[in-house]
Amino acid sequence: MSGRILVIEDDDRLAQYVVQGLTEANFTVDRAANGRDGLFLATDSEFDVIILDRMLPKMDGMQVMKAVRAAGVATPILVLSALGATDDRVEGLTAGADDYLSKPFSFAELLARVQVLQRRNSPAGQVQQAVLRCADLELDRLSRQVRRGERKIAVQPREFRLLEYLMLHQGEVVTRTMLLEAVWDYHFDPGTNVIDVHISRLRRKIDDGEARPLLHTVRGAGYRLSDD
Amino acid sequence: MRRLLTSTVAGLVLAIFLVQLASTGAALYLLRVQMASIIHEGRAREVLDVRDDLLASYYDGGGSELREYISARRGSIDDPTIFVALLGVGGTPLLNNLVTPPRAVPTGTPGRVLAQQHSGQAPAEALAIRTDLPDGSRLVVGTATESEQHFVIAFAEAIGLTIALTVAVALAAALALGYVISRRTHAIAETAEALAQGDFAARVPREDVGDGFDHLRRQMNLMAERIDLLVGELRGVAGSLAHDLRSPVARLSASIDTAATHVADESAAAEALQLARQDADALEAMLTTALELSRLESATIADRRSPTDLGAVCADIVELYEPLAEHAGIALDCKSVPMMVLADRELVSRALSNLIDNAIKYGGDRIDVTCRSDPAGAVVTVSDNGPGIPREDRSRAVERFARLDNARTRPGAGLGLAMVAAVARLHGGSLDLSGRVDGQPGLVAVLRLPLR
Repeated sequence: MSGRILVIEDDDRLAQYVVQGLTEANFTVDRAANGRDGLFLATDSEFDVIILDRMLPKMDGMQVMKAVRAAGVATPILVLSALGATDDRVEGLTAGADDYLSKPFSFAELLARVQVLQRRNSPAGQVQQAVLRCADLELDRLSRQVRRGERKIAVQPREFRLLEYLMLHQGEVVTRTMLLEAVWDYHFDPGTNVIDVHISRLRRKIDDGEARPLLHTVRGAGYRLSDD
Repeated sequence: MRRLLTSTVAGLVLAIFLVQLASTGAALYLLRVQMASIIHEGRAREVLDVRDDLLASYYDGGGSELREYISARRGSIDDPTIFVALLGVGGTPLLNNLVTPPRAVPTGTPGRVLAQQHSGQAPAEALAIRTDLPDGSRLVVGTATESEQHFVIAFAEAIGLTIALTVAVALAAALALGYVISRRTHAIAETAEALAQGDFAARVPREDVGDGFDHLRRQMNLMAERIDLLVGELRGVAGSLAHDLRSPVARLSASIDTAATHVADESAAAEALQLARQDADALEAMLTTALELSRLESATIADRRSPTDLGAVCADIVELYEPLAEHAGIALDCKSVPMMVLADRELVSRALSNLIDNAIKYGGDRIDVTCRSDPAGAVVTVSDNGPGIPREDRSRAVERFARLDNARTRPGAGLGLAMVAAVARLHGGSLDLSGRVDGQPGLVAVLRLPLR
């Protein structure tokens, strides 16, 4: 996957870590160290995703975002914040951010979210489809039925939403936090391995007895549903 | 009513009322005795004066002069209330303006007797004195004390009226006093309550009058000032410490991740980095919770409460944990009814998640979550059948970084219950830990939230 990312972050070490990681993931990365430069770059050139720190010298992150949106730039923005409370998340999202990540974060979490944002901006994939498919796994969003080949799989409502989310993002890494936010609408870390157990339960239902497993664990990051 | 009667203020009101009543009664009684004795003395003096006049005429002109004096009703015996009787040697009345002359009349000082002054009337109380004359006859002088009776009746009427008035005024005054005391103490108590609920800006309104209440108010406000300062400092330290530590922890995690990409997957170095990463995550989780806790406790977070079905919140969280519990061999059950409360779903979910997480980690093989309402509000209970927490440690367990002697002392466990308690307080509710009703070992966490 490739694309152009703008990172607006004043902490050099953190910026370097993000830039390096994204570069290794085949992204082209520009970096601005303060809000004013960031705003200039964001309105001057085309980016796939903007990563914006909440607290910046010269111009606050929220102001940058409002100015970017006011300039008619619709590029997805992911806000980073050290404040890490639900207050800031809600404020960020209502001010026009597309996603929110609190520091400290793992790079895998950031990468997964950037990829989701980048794809959201590209022409619609399966988002509008009534039946989602991954290899011989089929999920019918209208009749709410799941089949693997000829086998009908009984799933509970929450498992259905979990599988639906994984299928909508097939081929992409989804993190535990992303699942918690999208499937359960919780924005805190319930700790332990709450999500892992849900996944392994779902995995038993769709992959047990199959020659090719579809639901993969990505070590240190999360999960990926794909046909490889 | 019983509570009202045994309350201090009611006691005080009653005492003040009784004291006022008693003092007024005593004053009236003394006044009556005093006035009665003055009237009595006046009457007695009058009697003696008449007697002296009569004796003077007797010594002037003997028995005939006396008789003439009496018959003519001269001088002071002109008074119709005065009666005079002159008795012969055998007690035969010689001269008498009485129907029945009194018997056994004292000598020396005027004494009380019964005398019938007019026919057709009952003998009335009178004051009389007897004087034995040298010729053997006896002179009796007296006065009807009818007016004294009038005075007694009038006084009784006046006393009745006074007592009725006194009762009313004393009662009103006592009640007013009780009300004032109640209101002042309530104002102080309300401030103390606000302080206890975390509103450290609460102060008692000042009134510079210099009495005991004023003293209490001043000391209360000084204490509040001090608490405010200390808590503010503590929160500032805790909050900024957590905040400042997060960036280094973020960089630590980043460095570990970077290092991990450069070592072979199955090497010892990779394993060490994995462990370091886990510790960094644990540290980060604690810092996040500490930061959130300080924000919750200082109530500086935005109020995002909205009408929320607490029963559904419980069911959702139980559903989230159910596979984990099953995996750990724990039966996790939820009994909830739909119940609308004004709540921040995210915070209440988080609080519940902490309680269930605790029960999974430290409880037994059974967890019951219930959500019901009682007259005081909504009640969510999370009960387990683990070893529980000893009664004496329960209140300490909800303090931040509490260290208990039993197994609930793993790193990071110190903030969970404090967080739940802070969420409860923020919603105007409470968190209580108790033992199981059936007396079996286990812990019951009771989260109370006010109904909408």
